[in-house]
Amino acid sequence: MTNIPRGLPELKSHNGGFERRRFLSQMSSGFTGLVLGSMLHRDGLASANSSDTWAPPTGQSHFPAKAKSVIWLFMIGGVSQMESFDPKPALDKYAGLSIEETPHANVLTSPLVTETLESGFGRALMNKILPLQVPYRRRGESGIEISDWFPHIGDCVDDVAFIRSMWTTDNNHGAQYQFHTGRNKVQGLFPSLGSWVHYGLGSLNESLPQYVVLGQELGDCCGGIDAHGAAYLGSQHAGVQISDDPRNPIPYIRRNSRDSLRRQQSEFALLNELNRIATNDFSDNPAIQARIAAYELAFRMQKSLPEAVDISAETKHVRNLYGVDDKTAGVFGKQCLVARRLVERGTRFVQIFHGSTDGAGQWDAHNDLKPKYDRICQEVDQPIGGLLKDLKQRGLLDETLVVFVTEFGRTPGVQGARKGRDHHPYGFSVWMAGGGVKGGITHGATDELGFHAIENRHYVTDIHATILHQLGLDSRLLEVPGQKRLEIDHGHVIHDILA
Amino acid sequence: MNLLVALTLAVPAAGLSDATNDSDYLDDIKPILQSRCFACHGALKQESGLRLDTASSILKGGDSGPAIVAGKSADSLLIEAVTGDLADWRMPPEGEALSREQIESLKKWIAAGAPHPKHEEPEHDPRQHWAFQQPQRHATPNVQKTEWGRNDVDNFVAAMHEQHGLTPVPGAPKHILLRRIYIDLIGLPPSRAQLHEFLADDSADAYEKVVDRLLASPAYGERWGRHWMDVWRYSDWYGRRVRGELRNSQRHIWRWRDWIVESLNADKGYDRMVIEMLAGDEFAPDDPDTLRATGYLARNYNRTRNRWIEDTVEFTTASFLGLTFRCTRCHDHKYDPFTQKDYYSLRAIFDPYNVRTDQLPGQPDILQDGLPRVYDSNLSIVTYLLPTGDPQRPDKTLPMDPGVPALLGNESFHVEPVALPAQAYYPGLQPHIQEMELTRLRTALRQVRVELDNLASNAESATRTLAEKRVEAAAAALRSLRARIIADRERFQVAHSTRTEQSQLEAMQAENELIRLQTELQFLEAKHELDDIQAKTTNGQNAAAVAAATKKLSAAEKALKEINANDSQSKSTYSTIGSKYPAQSTGRRLAFARWLVHRDNPLAARVAVNHMWMRHFGRPLVESVADFGRNGKQPINQPLLDTLAVQFMESGWKMKTIHRAMVTSQTYRMQSAAVSKDHPNRKLDQQNRYFWRMNPKQMEAEVVRDSLLHIAGRLDPEMAGADLEPKDGESLPRRSIYFRHAADGQMTFLEVFDVANPNSCYRRHERTVPHQALAMVNSNLTHALSEELAKKTSVENDSDFIERAFETILCRSSSSKEHEACLRFLSREVAAQTDDSTIKTAPSLRARQSLIHVLMNHNDFVTIH
Repeated sequence: MTNIPRGLPELKSHNGGFERRRFLSQMSSGFTGLVLGSMLHRDGLASANSSDTWAPPTGQSHFPAKAKSVIWLFMIGGVSQMESFDPKPALDKYAGLSIEETPHANVLTSPLVTETLESGFGRALMNKILPLQVPYRRRGESGIEISDWFPHIGDCVDDVAFIRSMWTTDNNHGAQYQFHTGRNKVQGLFPSLGSWVHYGLGSLNESLPQYVVLGQELGDCCGGIDAHGAAYLGSQHAGVQISDDPRNPIPYIRRNSRDSLRRQQSEFALLNELNRIATNDFSDNPAIQARIAAYELAFRMQKSLPEAVDISAETKHVRNLYGVDDKTAGVFGKQCLVARRLVERGTRFVQIFHGSTDGAGQWDAHNDLKPKYDRICQEVDQPIGGLLKDLKQRGLLDETLVVFVTEFGRTPGVQGARKGRDHHPYGFSVWMAGGGVKGGITHGATDELGFHAIENRHYVTDIHATILHQLGLDSRLLEVPGQKRLEIDHGHVIHDILA
Repeated sequence: MNLLVALTLAVPAAGLSDATNDSDYLDDIKPILQSRCFACHGALKQESGLRLDTASSILKGGDSGPAIVAGKSADSLLIEAVTGDLADWRMPPEGEALSREQIESLKKWIAAGAPHPKHEEPEHDPRQHWAFQQPQRHATPNVQKTEWGRNDVDNFVAAMHEQHGLTPVPGAPKHILLRRIYIDLIGLPPSRAQLHEFLADDSADAYEKVVDRLLASPAYGERWGRHWMDVWRYSDWYGRRVRGELRNSQRHIWRWRDWIVESLNADKGYDRMVIEMLAGDEFAPDDPDTLRATGYLARNYNRTRNRWIEDTVEFTTASFLGLTFRCTRCHDHKYDPFTQKDYYSLRAIFDPYNVRTDQLPGQPDILQDGLPRVYDSNLSIVTYLLPTGDPQRPDKTLPMDPGVPALLGNESFHVEPVALPAQAYYPGLQPHIQEMELTRLRTALRQVRVELDNLASNAESATRTLAEKRVEAAAAALRSLRARIIADRERFQVAHSTRTEQSQLEAMQAENELIRLQTELQFLEAKHELDDIQAKTTNGQNAAAVAAATKKLSAAEKALKEINANDSQSKSTYSTIGSKYPAQSTGRRLAFARWLVHRDNPLAARVAVNHMWMRHFGRPLVESVADFGRNGKQPINQPLLDTLAVQFMESGWKMKTIHRAMVTSQTYRMQSAAVSKDHPNRKLDQQNRYFWRMNPKQMEAEVVRDSLLHIAGRLDPEMAGADLEPKDGESLPRRSIYFRHAADGQMTFLEVFDVANPNSCYRRHERTVPHQALAMVNSNLTHALSEELAKKTSVENDSDFIERAFETILCRSSSSKEHEACLRFLSREVAAQTDDSTIKTAPSLRARQSLIHVLMNHNDFVTIH
């Protein structure tokens, strides 16, 4: 080897034992032809498994992909479906009445009330109807009705497929974890959707983490870091939490002042050489493969990650699009802009959390829904609208799947004296845009009161299945021996919304 | 095979449809029923008299008749139920309906005549679950390879190997074993000298001597203290510190941490530790050292009382019993035979308790320091069952007595109220607190006296009067305190005499006199304040201040008038010195703790031993370390677990006995390194579930940091004391256990290495992520320590330097390939730096620093082989 290494290709040249080059050459049919793949950890997993027939994912999609990357926007606390994307004029009509007094009393006796829940039992169903706290209007050519709290998202409805018929099984905020893993929190640790994507697909940029988490993570009550964990897939597939501060996107990313780049590279080359010599002695310890991969990524990230999160070169026009300089929208706007920069550079899965309180989350409006949503909708609306418009103008929307999700909806009835709504897992709304999803459509429906999802009902893993499908993955082919998956884990692809 | 039998067996398959047979029932049908129906129609419960756990009980049916009619799926109640055809209900009542495929399988199986095996075991009675039976010592199993094992642990493990056809790998090389045991027992790797000493010691018990020495080291308590802090969820206080707001845990909870470390080092019995943590205030009410242990309960403090008690029940049952009681807040347990009533009986044990901070000698301000401890504050509280878990909606018809689940044996649970010594419920009797109060009042008096003495001779008379009144009042305060101390002593500590009443009367009078003087003083102060403001005011400025002062004065005047006019305002008893608490404790927690560590309790010893095994061997014997219930995992080797549990109890619950049994076993001494690719064990047990080799482990966060400091010779051996600021973690060389550990702030370096979640951590995450690489590469800690270690390792020649560096950092010598690579590196680095005049360090030293830095980042540093 030469004296001074020049980045990764050279370092790869002495990992002969892993046959990575052969692997890579086989994989040149990827999305952009740029599939690089951190193959080392796959080898580690391969050797850690006893099944003879099983093979780890190759990093290639199982069938042609429609989308390359995912931006997953998670609103913590439970967004009110009837004040966002699922207009229910009946609530104005029957405001103040009890549900029994309306013609829709049967929602309370529906078997769905008892069938849906697995945890979070015992909450009242909030009987007295609270009128809509915000008006709706038709938007775009499709004329889909969107509440006035989301005018910027409203601008983009012709690119969005709204799913108005979600349900989940936890009536408490463990549903946040559930939306990311498909499993009720009481059942233990399971891989998050992002980690499945990371596990299943090769890398598009080996200098950036492929699964990135922005925004403060969930509270420990509700899943904490496990909502972007990888459980049995191995920690190299877990989401990498970063901040959007280019000076310090992750701790210790700045080279120590005692080091020069040359010295660091030189040390790194020796470290790699020594670790690989040691690999021969301990070759069935998957941790060493993960560690070598982690060092390689860490080393490259020092340069690429601060650059990727640095928005200083973005034009005024783009900053304004996202509301980066706005007092209210600025924080989330910056995160959305960074998300675009990351997917542009090849990050597969960007997960942005909004509204963390280290507890239930800001969208959890048990009281004062109107004043709360007046503010927090403004925090996210322009950034998300800006993200969709920006992706579109750059031609990236076709290959980027943007997903707006939340753990559950809110009750049609009022909670307490201060005009709030309680948790509601029986029917709620999410949406998807880009990445081969039809625009300007709604799919599924709740009943007149927005209580039960009654048409085209979808559990959270149907969203997962649809995303994986657009990425060209079949979750059944990703199963790991010895780790039993249930039928419901795989979900069903929502074909109706696909272009 | 007998012809008749063959025919009988052949009938169902031949006579009926294509592919349905017994194995379909076992493979397809039973799993559906097990996962969706057994909870209510199995051994745990038999709703409507129906059990679905064997085919014959399905055919027999329940109150509504047979669940299925063989051959006729359309007439089968089971199919009607799962398809929801019965008008208003559907089975299972909770969760999603069975899928179409599942229903089809059921139909197909019924249509085929419901073929099933003849001898089918019904689901076991949940009360017979292994973990609910008392552990028994098992006879040492007979094994073929008798020469392999060293102790009883090995015999059980060898039997398991032989049962599964596994061959244990050879013992680890001495240097690897030494590093393993050092890090395992004290959390620090051995020094070069210790390495050489061990390599040179050929005696048969060289290793045992090391084990004894390490177990006797105070660092053992720090290492294993941190483990138990995970299980007992140690957390420093949590809340917005700037505002002094306390949300979780308690100030000065580190005293409990110090108690843990000391107790482990003293090898205090685990039974005693449990009793002290759960009921130290009832067990040794006047021993402040023991009271520290109740930090375990004080830590559960939460601003929301309901959450606080919920956490206490949930985490106590999980930590000590390996049981999951969280779900039983709202309903009977879905897997284990515990009822919602069992939960609220447990809750009644804790409902009376509360937290307080006792003053410590020399520190009157409990915000600065103090002893956080628990006591029973509400002796008459009634615990009601909360049908939905909602504290706002108790079922007042169901008051719950304190109790423990009968299933686990409750004969040893006896609640006896504990009469507390006076000094325990009335801290004001303690001489150090009286002395602190006296000092405070003496100081105050001295100060006002000085002020009076210093008054200018021409001071206004009003000013002088005020100063004199201050002295009078301060003197009265001191007199009153003295009288109260005497009266307290007579009342609480001396046999009753005529002096008793007299002293109380005097204390009362002294206090009334004090109140009168204080009222007078307040009046004078208010008057002085108003005069002062008015003197400074011209032209009606400061109107608001004048008004406020005037108002204050009139209030003071009113109080003064009242006290002069009306003697009835005077107090008829004297005040205590500080707070007084209930003179009794319910004894519920003490009863619970004693029951927990009673020899008959089936769980406590097993759970503790399993935690220890996991930390020594990298993997527990019961995979679900905090769930020994039916939803948890079976022990991989129950005879071994049980024998260790019994040994633990019979040793007086001595942890060091168990450590010794585990780490001196051959099982522990095996190598972790790979065996060849085609080794038969790989096929049989790739995951090493049966311990045919040692599991390599990754250093925990604290071990990474402490070991770096230690190898560079910088680790400060000072033990104990208040929690240190996380931000000082890279400059202050104390052990990591002494830094603040709380949900709202931990040391970044430790967080990166997945330090325990302070809210619950029975088992650490073991992850390898880029953050860790960056911390090791870029932190000041590794750079500063590399420099120190390079300087310290002052040998002339590079070869020697490389060897020393390997031995110091990785506890091994280098291979020739490694050695050459390092030599090349050093010369390359020296050459690369000679041009750079900005660097002051000599190029050779700087190159050596780099080499040290690289070795700190080596996989073999963070890995424990």
